[in-house]
Amino acid sequence: MTGFFIQRLLQALAVVAAMSVIVFVGVYAIGNPIDVMIDPASDQALRTALIKRYGFDRPLFEQYFIFMGNLLRGDLGESFIYRLPVTQLIFTRLPATLELAVCAMLIATCFGIPLGLWAGYKPDAISSKFIMGLSVLGFSVPTFWVGLLLIMAFAVELGWLPSGGRGPVSNVLGIKLSITSLEGWSYLILPAFNLALFKLGLLIRLARAGTVEVMSSDYVRFARAQGLSEAKVVGLHVLKNISIPIVTVFGLEFGSTLAFAVVTETVFNWPGMGKLIIDSITVLDRPVMVAYLILVVLLFVVINFIIDLVYGQLDPRIRVRAAS
Amino acid sequence: MKLVMKQGAKLVAALILGTALAGGASAQTLTIGVRAGPDSMDPHWSTLGGQAEALRHVFDTVVMADDKLQLKPGLALSWKPVDPTTWEFKIRQGVKFHDGSELTAEDVKFSIDRIPVVTGPMSMTIYTKQVKDTKVIDKYTLHVTTRAPAPTLPNDFIRLFVVPKSVGMEARNEQFNSGKAAIGTGPYKFVSWSPKGDMVMERFDAYWGEKQPWQKVIRKEIPSDPARMAALKSGQVDLVNYVPATDYASMQKDRALDTFISDTIYILNIVPNVKESLPKPAKVDGKDIAVNPLRDAKVREAMDLAIDRKTLVRVVLEGLGRPANQLMPANFFGGSKNLPERPYDVAKAKQLLTEAGYPKGFEMDFYCTNNRLPGDSAVCEALSQMWARAGLKINANALNGTVFFPAQQKGDYGLWMSGWGTLTGEASYTYGSLVHTADAAKGLGAFNKQGYSNPEVDRLLEEGSAAMDDTKRRALFEKASEVSMNDRALIPTVQLQTIWAAKKGMLTFPPRVDQETLAYEIKPR
Repeated sequence: MTGFFIQRLLQALAVVAAMSVIVFVGVYAIGNPIDVMIDPASDQALRTALIKRYGFDRPLFEQYFIFMGNLLRGDLGESFIYRLPVTQLIFTRLPATLELAVCAMLIATCFGIPLGLWAGYKPDAISSKFIMGLSVLGFSVPTFWVGLLLIMAFAVELGWLPSGGRGPVSNVLGIKLSITSLEGWSYLILPAFNLALFKLGLLIRLARAGTVEVMSSDYVRFARAQGLSEAKVVGLHVLKNISIPIVTVFGLEFGSTLAFAVVTETVFNWPGMGKLIIDSITVLDRPVMVAYLILVVLLFVVINFIIDLVYGQLDPRIRVRAAS
Repeated sequence: MKLVMKQGAKLVAALILGTALAGGASAQTLTIGVRAGPDSMDPHWSTLGGQAEALRHVFDTVVMADDKLQLKPGLALSWKPVDPTTWEFKIRQGVKFHDGSELTAEDVKFSIDRIPVVTGPMSMTIYTKQVKDTKVIDKYTLHVTTRAPAPTLPNDFIRLFVVPKSVGMEARNEQFNSGKAAIGTGPYKFVSWSPKGDMVMERFDAYWGEKQPWQKVIRKEIPSDPARMAALKSGQVDLVNYVPATDYASMQKDRALDTFISDTIYILNIVPNVKESLPKPAKVDGKDIAVNPLRDAKVREAMDLAIDRKTLVRVVLEGLGRPANQLMPANFFGGSKNLPERPYDVAKAKQLLTEAGYPKGFEMDFYCTNNRLPGDSAVCEALSQMWARAGLKINANALNGTVFFPAQQKGDYGLWMSGWGTLTGEASYTYGSLVHTADAAKGLGAFNKQGYSNPEVDRLLEEGSAAMDDTKRRALFEKASEVSMNDRALIPTVQLQTIWAAKKGMLTFPPRVDQETLAYEIKPR
């Protein structure tokens, strides 16, 4: 177990190192960040002074080693644009994204799996056809467009919900969350639903495909022969057996939702991390770009690690293999 | 299942109630949806437009600018040169900072001294670079000595924000963002802000100027155009800036909304590279040619004649612009009223190209941004088609600013278009940077990447920049504008216009040519 964990950690470090090299080389290839940021009224002397001050006149490898040296001391640097520690910048926005992603995943799971199970259990029913039709819409219609439709319907026409932004936050164990108040939820529900749509479609299809396959297997027939109720057959045996692919996709989707919810965040003006990274890229704010991507790598490693643990819980065979 | 439904219905009802309560804000609150906001609450951090706009509510500047960018008294009541290199500023008396302390000349001096110490990559030293030294004469008199005669110093000081000396040299962005150091003399007190988030302010009752009608002002940063428009239509904000041209038509018909239109200081200019050779040679009949065709004044004139500015405005910008004939509006200091409107004449353009030795035209690449100013990429592509009518094959490439600006600095382009706004309202800012010969020692021509160099223009600009007499300086700048525009050092195309929209009948809004949306100029109706 510990060995497994250490192996994962080493892999993560290798990815972080490779990724930071790519960002440095990439920014270097685009050009000098000062040229993007500088005020048009500046003169040549000022430009030279700024390039020197931010170290862009040094060779690329030197810039990189200075960054790595600071990183090893736990210092990810300061944003060029805000002159705030990048960790502070990212972590003040993390709760907003986390809230949105968790809520979206909950919507997707709570509706997607039961609907998928039903569609797989009664593949020929009209209701199942309807569910499958909806699932196609879920992942084929672009997120930003659905987002705009939701805003037009619920905020502009009906006026039930706010068109964007985040509700009032309260402090929960030092984390600023908006889900503690109803008003907070009124802001959260539309973007969360918008973000959930794609995942909802995906989970419905995954659950249905698994269910159709499992329903015709021997153990389902035996379970029925044993006289178990249908609810127990589906809820226990079928669900458990279709869970492995669902958990895998769930984990990956959760990771990408956290890291790249930028479309939804933009349309709903949600103050999350996605907007921060896009803005940082447009001004070549390199410290923020690197720090953010490091965080994303670590996030995916942690999620995958948790998924591996969940596999063991779901399927005893994996546990046995890992133990031997 | 029934239970779940019941709970669900309850939730929906509660949600509706929640928003209804939230929406019932008092009439004294003004909520503005802005496209871009500040990067910091430190007024000396950055020259970014969104930064100055936001911080003007909390901090005042030494000199202020009216809605046409002409100077008016700010924290300085008056200013006059006492000798060619010394300006005397008389500081307004009885002005209070938000912490209750009184403004004196010491605070102004401190603010000037503080800028080089704390400013960031968008360096505010451009507004103090002419300053050599500052001396406090008495509590309300400040002498600013300059390196050379600096008639435009008051123009630079419209961005000189004043902070109290008591914040100390050590205060940085963090102290300002937390509000600890965000103490100004402005009409509104800072309440809260975080990067990319809402900026909340409260009325400052001891403000020296006109009493403010709004108790609370909230500036919500909503960069996405559809999201910002939706926020207005759903009533979440009272006013939005930068209405896209596509929404303008429908908003004019919307009886729940008022719209406001204004000229801006932004002009899209074509920049022909006139260096000895182009970074990428032009082609005739598919073959590279050694000479740079843009060096020929006839070619530049032909390219100018081939531009149908009226169509650019009417079709490409959907009416939101004006044809431009110089790099800044003619009524700015040093703008020329003698320059004619640019004609559109394809036949003459073709004839000029033949005379210049390009009867079959030539081919080259043309670059512009696609995310900096409204309509930039559309204008760029339309220009390429207009030139095609004159027989030129100009390939338009609209790029993200992140890619465009570094390459333009490196000198990778032969022909490009970029927007320019004359933020200080006078000519030396624009012509000194764009058309004066690139000369690092003099600090002039910093953005003259096209290699244009005309000794007469240089002389006019340098003499003008040193002339303390307004009439003389204006005449010299006007001449410089005329000579460089007739040379087609740059080819101006269109001056952009911008739109604001607000809830019907809620407020009066005087639009500003610098596009700033300032709560203290907005009154309830």
